[in-house]
Amino acid sequence: MLSHLDRKLLRDLVRLKGQAAAVSLVMACGLAMLIMARSLIHSLETTRAAYYQANHFADLFASLKRAPNDLGARIAALPGVATVQTDLAVPVTLDLPGLAEPASGLVRSLPDFGAPELNRLFLRRGAWLSPGARGEVLVGEAFAKANALNPGDPLTLLLNGRRQTFRIAGIVLSPEYIFESRPGAALPDSRTYGIFWMPYKEVATAWNLYGAFNHVAATLAPGASSPAVIAELDRLLVPYGGRGAYGRKDHPSHIRVTDEIRVLTILSIGFPAIFLCVASFMTNSVLSRLLALQREQIAILKAFGFSNRQIAAHYLKFAFVMVAGGVLLGLLGGVVLGRQLVGMYELMFRFPDLAFQLDFSAVAIALAVGLGAVTLGVFSSVRQAARLPPAEAMRPEPPASYAPSGLERLGLKRLLSHSFRIAVRNLERRPMQALFTVAGLALATALLILPNTFKAGIADILDFKWDVVQRQDINLGLVEPSSARIAHELAQLPGVTSLEPSRLAAVRIHFNGRSRQIGLRSLLPNARHSRAVDHAGREIPPPTDGLIVSAKLAEVLGARVGDLLVVEALEGRRPVKTLPITGLAEDFTGIAAYMELSAINRFLGEGDVITGASLGLDLDKRGEFLAALKKIPRVSTVAIKESMRKSFRETTAQMMGLIQSIYLMFSVVVAFGVIYNNARISLAERARELATLRVIGMTQHEVGAIIVIELVILAVLAVPLGLVMGTGFATVIISTVSTETVRLPLVFTSYTYAFAVLVVVTASFFSALVVLRKLKQLDLIATLKAPE
Amino acid sequence: MKSPPQSAATPVFHVRGLTKVYGAGTAEVRALAGVDLDLNAGELVVLLGPSGSGKTTLLNQLGGLDIPTAGELRYRDLDLAHADEARLTRYRRESVGFVFQFYNLIPSLTARENVGLITELARAPLTPEAALGMVGLTSRMDHFPAQLSGGEQQRVAIARAIAKRPEVLLCDEPTGALDVKTGITVLEAIRRANRELGTLTVIITHNAVMAAMADRVIRFSDGRVQSESHNANPAAPDTLQW
Repeated sequence: MLSHLDRKLLRDLVRLKGQAAAVSLVMACGLAMLIMARSLIHSLETTRAAYYQANHFADLFASLKRAPNDLGARIAALPGVATVQTDLAVPVTLDLPGLAEPASGLVRSLPDFGAPELNRLFLRRGAWLSPGARGEVLVGEAFAKANALNPGDPLTLLLNGRRQTFRIAGIVLSPEYIFESRPGAALPDSRTYGIFWMPYKEVATAWNLYGAFNHVAATLAPGASSPAVIAELDRLLVPYGGRGAYGRKDHPSHIRVTDEIRVLTILSIGFPAIFLCVASFMTNSVLSRLLALQREQIAILKAFGFSNRQIAAHYLKFAFVMVAGGVLLGLLGGVVLGRQLVGMYELMFRFPDLAFQLDFSAVAIALAVGLGAVTLGVFSSVRQAARLPPAEAMRPEPPASYAPSGLERLGLKRLLSHSFRIAVRNLERRPMQALFTVAGLALATALLILPNTFKAGIADILDFKWDVVQRQDINLGLVEPSSARIAHELAQLPGVTSLEPSRLAAVRIHFNGRSRQIGLRSLLPNARHSRAVDHAGREIPPPTDGLIVSAKLAEVLGARVGDLLVVEALEGRRPVKTLPITGLAEDFTGIAAYMELSAINRFLGEGDVITGASLGLDLDKRGEFLAALKKIPRVSTVAIKESMRKSFRETTAQMMGLIQSIYLMFSVVVAFGVIYNNARISLAERARELATLRVIGMTQHEVGAIIVIELVILAVLAVPLGLVMGTGFATVIISTVSTETVRLPLVFTSYTYAFAVLVVVTASFFSALVVLRKLKQLDLIATLKAPE
Repeated sequence: MKSPPQSAATPVFHVRGLTKVYGAGTAEVRALAGVDLDLNAGELVVLLGPSGSGKTTLLNQLGGLDIPTAGELRYRDLDLAHADEARLTRYRRESVGFVFQFYNLIPSLTARENVGLITELARAPLTPEAALGMVGLTSRMDHFPAQLSGGEQQRVAIARAIAKRPEVLLCDEPTGALDVKTGITVLEAIRRANRELGTLTVIITHNAVMAAMADRVIRFSDGRVQSESHNANPAAPDTLQW
């Protein structure tokens, strides 16, 4: 049995269902985002941690040219090393019947008998390699899916130049390749790049590496320091052509997942914080204004002997119903959207089982934030109402004090109609309330800027940046550094319209105690293909005695133009040189350093050597070109720009696009909620005044004009402020989510701003319509009888 | 000064068998149960009755705020019982002035502007200054409602009601929220408007003392007219005591 007070609560809620629903909805948007993002982080983190643990993911990794197997024991004996796993990693070229361009990949060896100590595979389909059997291969899931390969299918590989056909035993996943992409590539291209596993004996035989290894992974003993062990390991591996050991935090696949988690973390703080701010503003203003309307009722309750505490509790319940609605809706929305997004992550990341896991702490935070916002709103306004002695509160409220508005004092009085005067003075009389409303509206407007800025950034990359920085159609990579003469051979291929040789070397860059292992890329003077471009889109000429670095790399190292970097080559004779930064390149994926081609070769002490080439291609002859290319075994990688673009569109862009669509939808809901609520409450507060105007002969439209003018004034004040705030939010959030793997350019288009303004205008228009309709239903007689 | 009560001219309001029923079934309330009444130009009529007698309901019908359930209700040639919302709005705008118990001024407008709001709508209005002068508020014209006493606020409301020179002035308990002395200044303002502008004035009240100032007193109970009487010599408001 409901108490009578609760029954009043219920009826008040029914009467105010529109406003209550708007508050719940705005709150739900913020909470849904919070719950969605936190849960995704939770899902990714726990899934990854469990995967790493179950499959013995290593802590340290190193590649080298070649070392005898018994070096493994010496590595294991290093202080701080717990377990060691040595293996082979060799490049491979594939001939897939269904694929026009040559595909490439990496073959990893597995022990001939038994499972490896570290980085164990997860068998998705099919079977493990049969012990001792030859001619079998395990295929990474991403590549298998992209090329529709199944266990039992044949697969032709070019192992060290020899064509061999294998039978696919199983489709597998590896904790080393959660993100399966070509080394150095920020984007996956699973169609043309894959990871394969074969027995050690098979790989070693094909590459004449029997009794040796060229890759090592290790785990740290408890309490061991990663940098110390890395230094020891490097010292040990240098004579064997070690290319620099690195820890998990520099592991390419690990970085990608960590970056994604970082992006989500920022999004889970930035967006929901703004949303919840709006929701709190709104709840607060709705509640305090509703309570002001219930002034007499509160007085009567007090006169009957209800304590202030009981009255506060009554209105808190009222607010809690709205919060409960918001949290419930938010939870539902967060879970539904989270599940959707987890599905999208499968496009990028390969986990044995990435399931959506609700982060209960996020739900608790959501509940606490919602309750906090409304409790504050209720207490400040109930206190005001409860302070009044009942007798005073029961008398009709004395007319509020007004003064001529500032506009009128400026002498504009003649220009102002009565409706306008009423509206302006009403706003000026309650500056705090107007300020809160303007703040809420401005935040709602600001929210609309963010998602479209993300979209514009992605579009900018896809449609513009891509073609400005890389004007070639195809990048080729060679199996190993070769004489520049090969360039002539490649230039003869059918359809090639232009060719520029390129050189890529692995280096470690040091500055002020910080270091990064990156690729040193070559540039040509007056290049027609790859260029380094600064933030203004101008080409930076390639330095002969200095480095151009990614702006992000400079930021990570804390270096500026003119600073001296120590460049340590990780191949060849491993020279070390100190070079100044001569320019910052605005590249949008990965981090790199750039140098003139001949300068790189001089630095490495090698002759006229290249490791790849960029090509312009007559696209009509693309088929012929690719067919011819398949016959050149020294080419190991082929990156077709259009394929990369497509891949980007299908992974990162689609992912960000989905997130942004969700946020945009929420922003629109919030804008509507804020504006609608504001108009409705204005109407409720002024019902008596407006009814009087109707009675003395004003038409509905004349009376509606007062509310509409007020709405317009608020919007005119709030929208420009919101656009500025939105620009600020977007700048902060987009620069914070820019990572070492992917960065978004900050692009503000007139569409972004026009969209925000349009949404606010549309919301205002519909709210005005609702108000005008409600004015029609205004009970003239009841409103005039006596104050409620 | 316009003509006295028993003028043979066409009445301003012609009311026959006027019935208003709220609700339905067991909840049915018969607020007006067949009212027959003629109200003439220039009269000052006091409608007297206990609360719940239906006098406010009648006033609402006369003012075009509500439409009757049954019966005849005519203002001059206008059939108020069957007029649509737009026509009723025009009627209120052009022909009726209202004075409410709780003044209902627009708090954000000064006295002058509250009146000006109406004169902007009207066809041949008094100036706001003239209307406020008539109720003795020339010196308080630029004050906001919050800066005026209850009696002053009510006089602004009267000025607002008469500024458009309505043919009808409807006052619902105009002194209900005021003390005696203030109430008298308000009644004087109403009386003056009635005499100087020749406005048909209807005051509803449960205060029998006010009957003395009327040209005609109509006693109301249970939704019907119980009796009517005429004052040959209506008393001046300042002689009233209650």
